[in-house]
Amino acid sequence: MDASGVQLTTRVALAIALLAPLASVVAIGVMVLLRDERPKESQVARVMGAGLAGSVVGSLLVIACYVGLLGEAASGDISFGDWLRIDDFFIPAVFLVDTVSVSISLFAAFLTALIARFSRTYLHKEAGFIRFFVLLGVFATGTQLVAFAGALELFFAGWELLGISSAFFIGFFHERDEPVRSSIRAFATYRLSDAGLLIATVATLQLLGTARFSAFGTAAALPPLQSTAIALLFLLSAMGKSAQLPFSGWLPRAMEGPTPSSALFYGAVSIHAGLFLLLRVWPLMEVSMIARTVGVIVGLSTAVYASLVVRVHTDAKGALAHATLAQVGLILAEICFGWTTLALVHLICHAFLRLGQYLKAPNTIHDSHRLGHAHRTASQLETRLPGLATRIYAASLHRLRLDDRIDAAFAPVLWLAALLDRLDRRWRALLSFDRPQP
Amino acid sequence: MSSGAHRDLPADPVARALSRARSVLPDQGPIGVFIHHNTLHAFQHLPFHEGVRAGADALGAEPYLTLAAFRRAAASGRIARDDLEMEVTRALGDRAGELVVGTLTRAGLWLELLCADVDGDDAAGLEFALGAGEARECDDLARWEACLQRVLRGPRPTALFASPRPPRRHRDVIVAQGGDDTDVAVHGELIRLASGFLDQGQAHVVVPGRELGFLTAVSTIYQHGAAAPRECRGVEADMREVVAQRLSASDVIRQSLQALEVSDADAEDFLFATALALPGWTGMFSRLERHPEDNPDGPPVALDEFLAVRLLLERRAIERACRALGMPTAWSALRVVPQPVVPRSPLLDAALLWGMTRTGGLDVPDIEALPDAALQRLWDECSVSTPLARRQIFQEAYERSYRRMILDAIAARRALTADPVYERPRAQFVFCIDEREESIRRALEEQHPGYVTFGMAGFFGVAIDYLGLYDREPAAHCPVVVTPAHEVHEQPVFTSLGRDRATRRLRDRWLSVERRAQAASRTLSGGAGMSFLFGPISAVKTLARIAAPRTSLRWGERLVASVVPRPVTRLSTIRVADESLMAGQNKPVGFSLDESVERVTAVLTNLGLVRDFAPIIVFLGHGSTSLNNPHESAHDCGACGGRRGGANARLFADMANRIDVREGVRKRGIHIPTDTWFVGALHDTADDSVKYYDLEALPPTLSVRFEEAYAALELARRENARERSRRFDDAPLTISAHDALLHVEGRSAHLAQPRPEYGHCTNSICIVGRRAWSRGLHLDRRAFLVSYDPGVDDNHKVLERILAAVGPVGAGISLEYYFSSVDNETFGCGTKLPHNVTGLLGVMNGHQSDLRTGLPLQMVEIHEPMRLLLIVDATPEALLTVAGRQAEVAELVTKQWIQLVSAHPDTGEMMVFEDGAFVPYVPQPTLLPVVERSPEWHMRSRAHLSPALVRAALPESVVGPGHVGEPARVTAEMA
Repeated sequence: MDASGVQLTTRVALAIALLAPLASVVAIGVMVLLRDERPKESQVARVMGAGLAGSVVGSLLVIACYVGLLGEAASGDISFGDWLRIDDFFIPAVFLVDTVSVSISLFAAFLTALIARFSRTYLHKEAGFIRFFVLLGVFATGTQLVAFAGALELFFAGWELLGISSAFFIGFFHERDEPVRSSIRAFATYRLSDAGLLIATVATLQLLGTARFSAFGTAAALPPLQSTAIALLFLLSAMGKSAQLPFSGWLPRAMEGPTPSSALFYGAVSIHAGLFLLLRVWPLMEVSMIARTVGVIVGLSTAVYASLVVRVHTDAKGALAHATLAQVGLILAEICFGWTTLALVHLICHAFLRLGQYLKAPNTIHDSHRLGHAHRTASQLETRLPGLATRIYAASLHRLRLDDRIDAAFAPVLWLAALLDRLDRRWRALLSFDRPQP
Repeated sequence: MSSGAHRDLPADPVARALSRARSVLPDQGPIGVFIHHNTLHAFQHLPFHEGVRAGADALGAEPYLTLAAFRRAAASGRIARDDLEMEVTRALGDRAGELVVGTLTRAGLWLELLCADVDGDDAAGLEFALGAGEARECDDLARWEACLQRVLRGPRPTALFASPRPPRRHRDVIVAQGGDDTDVAVHGELIRLASGFLDQGQAHVVVPGRELGFLTAVSTIYQHGAAAPRECRGVEADMREVVAQRLSASDVIRQSLQALEVSDADAEDFLFATALALPGWTGMFSRLERHPEDNPDGPPVALDEFLAVRLLLERRAIERACRALGMPTAWSALRVVPQPVVPRSPLLDAALLWGMTRTGGLDVPDIEALPDAALQRLWDECSVSTPLARRQIFQEAYERSYRRMILDAIAARRALTADPVYERPRAQFVFCIDEREESIRRALEEQHPGYVTFGMAGFFGVAIDYLGLYDREPAAHCPVVVTPAHEVHEQPVFTSLGRDRATRRLRDRWLSVERRAQAASRTLSGGAGMSFLFGPISAVKTLARIAAPRTSLRWGERLVASVVPRPVTRLSTIRVADESLMAGQNKPVGFSLDESVERVTAVLTNLGLVRDFAPIIVFLGHGSTSLNNPHESAHDCGACGGRRGGANARLFADMANRIDVREGVRKRGIHIPTDTWFVGALHDTADDSVKYYDLEALPPTLSVRFEEAYAALELARRENARERSRRFDDAPLTISAHDALLHVEGRSAHLAQPRPEYGHCTNSICIVGRRAWSRGLHLDRRAFLVSYDPGVDDNHKVLERILAAVGPVGAGISLEYYFSSVDNETFGCGTKLPHNVTGLLGVMNGHQSDLRTGLPLQMVEIHEPMRLLLIVDATPEALLTVAGRQAEVAELVTKQWIQLVSAHPDTGEMMVFEDGAFVPYVPQPTLLPVVERSPEWHMRSRAHLSPALVRAALPESVVGPGHVGEPARVTAEMA
């Protein structure tokens, strides 16, 4: 098979991996919108299952092409032309096939398919069954897009799909207040990190002339100020998405959704998305010692913070969320130290471990009957420095009041928004004579 | 409004409020042992309808199904129109026939209000439906116009239907005025503190100094620099003051009341409402305070300390919120702040009038000419018929329709009773009274007339503290009201002692490694190490457990069994000598000979099993296995205190097999033949497995007999699995018995299964009496079946024993299901899907919420909330005698928390206890459907089934031959 043949196979494989879950979403959407009766659970699960299985198969095919099982090995940028062209500004539809992308793609596709199988039983008879599976499809599309994106623009599109599906999963039980509040908080944090990513993308385009990951090697030539600024912006968006300090407050609150979605998002895939971003833009990060130092500090302090919080957590899912966060902080530090391969392996192994733990979180009572529990013994700290121990306990229990502090920081913005809202209402009341506005 | 109050309350308002709160708060202990109880047990001294309304009012819950649900039931025929009319007449008495307007009687008005959706509050929806031509008013637009015009001329109804709940605490007013809900911040903080304080083993570190009590521990934390949530800022200073001045909980409560300016007169209701604002956690404090045995090695728990901390936080939050709204904090000033009222749309009134005039035969001119006084009288009549009053009538009718169907079926079945067969039964099976066992009993009886089944409370008369082979401490296996006087241990037999020591060491080591690994995976370094070491393996394991739950679980079990085989064991049934009352052991281990004889005699008498012993008698306890299910224990045996009844069955069989015990029993008049053998077993109601105990001791001469009984049970458990499967939407109705068994095994082994079984869901009947007259009646797994033979009970002692146990247990289960299904969010714990186990105490929704008590949606979704229909094979006089001796049974019956029916042992005449007296029930002659075997009846649909006759389970002579194939209908002549 000649080179173009390999190219073609890889293209088809990529298209399957990306479009299969999207096609399922569209198909279910058509079923819901165009038919009078609600589609059956089994139909929805089958259509989405096919899409996710397609995604796994596509991902495996890409790997086969990448390692050269189907003839000559295919790697590097694979271009599908332009996504958008306005005069001489264009956004390329380019995908990148390399070790990082294929491993993340297969890993995410496999776990999503596994969770879909689990959820088919778990969500049986739940009113939001169809919504759940549609969101799962959106998420799968997002992860494949993020994994294979060859440039920041496409990456950003996938990143947004992840964010939106994540927020909807947190607010899945929207008939209660708390999930909605938590969902909005996660969403707001995501928007902040999106802003970082967006600015960084524009800046990269401006400075490097392209946002292709394969072109990032030239970043070393940038002036230190510029490369550091961009690297810090990437770091900021990674911190928000991966719940690093000081944005850790939304993560425990994200446990409002059904158990499998919590497992998939905050145990396995979504929480690692920020780290994956850094792995992608690594050439840019590599040159900025300042950004790397900041990253190490943030990562390690998050790791310490989270492992302290785990100790006081009494609920199964919250404890797991912080245990996960501790490892994510550690992986962030690994990346910033430059140990990217170690970080990638750590990331995948960790996700595998946590996924199982999350899914078995409701089994805590059963396990405690079987295993019994160890007797608590006072630690060295507690006996020697009880005051400090209490202080640490209090800080861990309150999680440093991170949310309150962020709220306080944003209070002026909210105040302004409230003011504008009041003015707006007043104008409306003045101008609409016919009926009183609520 | 001292609604839920008990009779004698202290004078002090704080103490009064606490005492009232204690009785109303959820009384569910840590979820590891789930015991069904009447959710509104505190209101049981009131008549049912008053009790549910008072309880629902205190907790802000719904006391009955919604009107919409009842209307659907009426439309589908589940509630018969006759029954509804009868209940309206019963409620209105003599005034039912009076005319209200036109030809409309009062009863007619009530029926109109009951059945037609005329009292909605959705004006916008009505407007839209009118515009779209879909409203029922569009049938007669002229009338509609007239009604609308007439309504606009007035008078308009005032205070029609629903009145909003009056504000009970500051927070209610703040929310009504559009302020931020102060409970969000206060509860968030309280939940973290309380879960850290009460934790029973999930966290590595608990609240420091928790042995000093909640108030002290919390204020110490604050003293050491804990930051208060933004909304409660300032509370740090209050907490410091608590420490400095060593304030007690009651001091703090009083100070807070003063600060919030709650007068002494208001204090009780205010505090009561405050205690009920976070019922789950507050209830757990109240529960653990009164039941320290639920909280071993835990801190001292006191409800008033929890409330003290709550009020400290709340006070600051209230002050802040009131400041923001420009309102005073004084409760006396705040409580009279007028609540925003939404005016009722005239469209709604017109719709009401439209319905009334149509039923009342008023035409357009009549409506136009309707005098103001007449219209006013109509509105007044309507406002008397409150939604609650109507739902009460619906509830009664809902129960009446069901009761008629069941009583008629029983009368028809009873009319068939033929002469008993005097042949020795082939095998006898004794099950728990549990309604889940009705189907497996039927499946056995269908196989041969010689298979006889019995039902009795599943601890089989032996109340014990049981210590299983690998248990850490003994647990009570008996109803919660009983305290066992004996311990029974499971011990390896002598020949496996050596092996046991080795495997036990191995097992302990493994468990400790597993426990440590579980904890380590959450630490920083441990998590990293375990990720690399076990991450990939874990992925494979998860895949296997999800893709092939049943098989992978079996393989795992087989692997464990091959490494650490379980030794052969026996129970320490008989106390060898009194020396075994060892030092430090306050309960005797095992029973003495006399005690054993007494237990065996009592059980056999209760069962009415005093003659005609089969060669094999199997006693089956029950339990349930499921994974990922915090409510697993709720499926276990209620009569064994939320545990598995296998040990009790095994113990009883062991006792009854002993020659010396049998000799003693014989002296008391029960002759157990020497060729009869008792076998203990455990039926798992989730995967329908049956596990037998001590078969090594089975005499070889009886092995053929046992094999036959075993084969019968093997068939029966498959049929049982099939009957259960019909309720599960994900098993096809055409499923074979064998596949059904695989299906339920899969459910039990599945990590993702929120419905491993439906538990007691759909329970509705309890029949206490001889099986002879209910055998062959298909009761759709809805009936508790208790064996009782009035023929061997001269002074009603047996009946008294049975009713004293079964009445409260049955009522507890049925009422817990009642409440959890009428208001699943308040009385129950909502959907399981976001549940999060906390502190090994219970479940929360998502990351933090109130502790959710009661039953999850997935356990009650197909339940029909009704009071238990208790049908007893005894005369009304016998029942009254028993009620006179058993106060709790009397309360349940006279206050109508259960529906009691007496079925005369000789004549079969039935009397229903209604409005304080037994009223004769005249059954309608009924044609019961007849099927050869029960699957023909139940595998046709997933819905609730009416009773049917199963011919294979009836004695040959009862229903004539010739009804093979397509089920025919047969007239059951009334006796």
